[in-house]
Amino acid sequence: MAREAGSFLGVAVLVKQVPDSAEIKMDPQTGTLLREGVPAVMNPDDRLGLETALLLKDGLDASVTALSMGPPQALDVLSEALAMGADRGVLLSDRNFAGADTWATSYTLGRALERLGQQESLDLVVCGRQASDGDTAQIGPQVAEHLGWPQVTYVERLAVEECELRAWRRLPGLVQEVLCPLPAVVTVLASPVAPRWPLLDRLLMACRSEAPLEVWDAADIAAPAASTGLKGSLTRVVRTFSPKSGRVTSWLEGSAGEQAQALINELRNHKLI
Amino acid sequence: MALRSDPEKLLRQVMARFVREEVAPVARQVDESGHFPRELFHKLARMHAFGLRYPVKNGGAGGNATLYCIMCEELAQGLMSLAAIAAKQCLMATNFLHRFGDQEMRERYFLPALRGELVGSFCLTEPEAGGDLGRVSTTAVRDGQDWLVSGMKTWITNAPVADFFTVLCQTDADKSIRGLNFFFVPRDTPGVSVSPGFHTLGTRSTEISEVAFSDCRIPGRYMLGQEGKGLGALLAILAEIRAMTAALALGLAKAAYQAGFQYARERSAFGKTINHYQLIQAKIANLATEIWAAELMLYDTTRKIDAGQRPSKESMMVKYYATEVACRAADEATRILGAYGYSMEYPVQRYFRDARFLLYGGGTHEVLQTNIARELGF
Ligand SMILES: Cc1cc2nc3c(=O)[nH]c(=O)nc-3n(C[C@H](O)[C@H](O)[C@H](O)COP(=O)(O)OP(=O)(O)OC[C@H]3O[C@@H](n4cnc5c(N)ncnc54)[C@H](O)[C@@H]3O)c2cc1C
Ligand SMILES: Cc1cc2nc3c(=O)[nH]c(=O)nc-3n(C[C@H](O)[C@H](O)[C@H](O)COP(=O)(O)OP(=O)(O)OC[C@H]3O[C@@H](n4cnc5c(N)ncnc54)[C@H](O)[C@@H]3O)c2cc1C
Repeated sequence: MAREAGSFLGVAVLVKQVPDSAEIKMDPQTGTLLREGVPAVMNPDDRLGLETALLLKDGLDASVTALSMGPPQALDVLSEALAMGADRGVLLSDRNFAGADTWATSYTLGRALERLGQQESLDLVVCGRQASDGDTAQIGPQVAEHLGWPQVTYVERLAVEECELRAWRRLPGLVQEVLCPLPAVVTVLASPVAPRWPLLDRLLMACRSEAPLEVWDAADIAAPAASTGLKGSLTRVVRTFSPKSGRVTSWLEGSAGEQAQALINELRNHKLI
Repeated sequence: MALRSDPEKLLRQVMARFVREEVAPVARQVDESGHFPRELFHKLARMHAFGLRYPVKNGGAGGNATLYCIMCEELAQGLMSLAAIAAKQCLMATNFLHRFGDQEMRERYFLPALRGELVGSFCLTEPEAGGDLGRVSTTAVRDGQDWLVSGMKTWITNAPVADFFTVLCQTDADKSIRGLNFFFVPRDTPGVSVSPGFHTLGTRSTEISEVAFSDCRIPGRYMLGQEGKGLGALLAILAEIRAMTAALALGLAKAAYQAGFQYARERSAFGKTINHYQLIQAKIANLATEIWAAELMLYDTTRKIDAGQRPSKESMMVKYYATEVACRAADEATRILGAYGYSMEYPVQRYFRDARFLLYGGGTHEVLQTNIARELGF
């Protein structure tokens, strides 16, 4: 349904809880990620997504709902989203959702967005470009497909104009300014200003029982078990490891000038200059 | 019960990230500048950090002593002077105003202080009265409806940048400590003068100086609390002041320990990294043990405060113990880092200097040991 100019804007921001990359360690023997004991935090790109949405809310009549799929402890990223200024948080948590690949994840998120849209108007979905652990950058585009909405990726700035969205996409070496009808999905890789810090009073408020946080399960979004989690996944991660990399030393020979030329050639070959 | 996040865990996480992203990159520069860290102060204010321990209905965040100490501990891991300034703005600088100020003082001073627009100072110490507050000789004398405040305070944190002072004064010398009362003195009161800042060993970006009061006329309602109850009003927050000092110490100890831990695993000597040497292992093991003990003591004490108790003995013990641990941790870290521990390029020298600041406020350790023994009935 097309949005009327100047009316209320319903925004959902997708936020994922990821292991803190500043604390992450690898098992040197197996090369797998050691998740044990690593604090879980909000995906950095999603902080940018929240800031982008909250900036819109600063300037017009809008509400921002943060949505996450994950285990119960993922509620922490929603509490933090409330502390940053989101109006509401919804956690999708159900045993059936476990082990989802990007297909099943985006299906589940898409179902929840449809339900949100039935509850209040939903005009815009903001995702991070990429999750720092899964790293596929697929969820935003897949969610857009699921909803049948247009998508704008790699966004660094957004403005809502009448019934349209104006977005600035950052591409290698250039910025593209695009117009897109609403409703739409965007994925962001930057925000015009550094993401705001959570307010401590809102943070404590978010931890109280009256906080606007909800937990939805499979039944709440009418998601059949066969479409979610491991069962609904088309792909499977068999193993995660860091590839063995060796160092190769090459000696430059000849006069200083020849060595300098050889070095420049090497750097050019590796596209470093 | 609805599923909810743990506020202590979340606050710790947010403050740790704040330290990592906002404080650590500028800590050295701020320390060397020797100036009040205004930018970081305002960033904390914008997070509503200074109202953390005040009730929501009074403009605060509705936190408690435990949350307050968690914030202090995390900030102290980044930069002690910032942590000390924030700790002061949250508690000593604003607490008497919060408890005893009227509506006008609340609107004009308390709420702006929580917003970081005004800075407060807390003035107990005098040239002739340090730990021995019975010797306070700054006087407040009634003059009609007003009070006239006169005297000299020294070692006043934030005085060079302060907008208002909470000042301990003697109203009746015959009554000795029962004549002690707190007064609110705005900086722009005629008769207030602030000396140039002191040069200090550590916490170099907290500006400290003397403040002289010469017949400073303030309205009668600027007496904070009931006459004759000044010391009692101080005692009501003394356990929390000491716990907060212990939290600053714990944060510094953790930062120093972490620096030593990391360096020992990277630095090689005599064919292996130095973490393989038992004498280095002993340092790390001892510090980890002491830090754990200090942490347990601290949060046991704050939980008692939050339960409405006044854990006087425990707060003295943990202030004393945690500060000694901080001093030892800073000392050991500078040894583990070898010459780099002596270099201004690395933060451990700052930990070493800053740890000393914790020795005096909240009671010197000689006085605390004496008082602990007394509370034990010894
Ligand atoms: C413990 C674990 C087990 C896994 N097991 C499997 C497996 O068995 N098979 C498999 O194929 N994959 C598995 N994955 C990967 C998982 O499918 C992806 O993490 C997930 O689908 C999201 O993809 P991504 O991380 O690449 O997100 P991206 O597409 O890189 O994320 C882009 C944006 O989408 C949004 N987003 C992503 N995920 C969520 C979420 N959960 N909630 C809200 N918003 C989100 C955020 O806005 C994010 O910035 C596993 C991941 C984890 C952490
Ligand atoms: C960085 C810094 C910031 C400060 N900020 C403030 C501030 O904002 N506001 C404020 O009011 N004050 C402030 N102070 C002052 C601080 O509170 C005092 O230093 C403290 O109260 C101790 O007083 P003193 O230094 O005069 O030492 P004194 O009390 O004179 O003690 C000197 C020595 O005698 C010992 N001693 C004293 N009495 C006994 C006893 N009974 N038994 C055994 N030994 C004893 C002490 O332990 C110490 O070793 C600050 C101090 C510093 C260093």
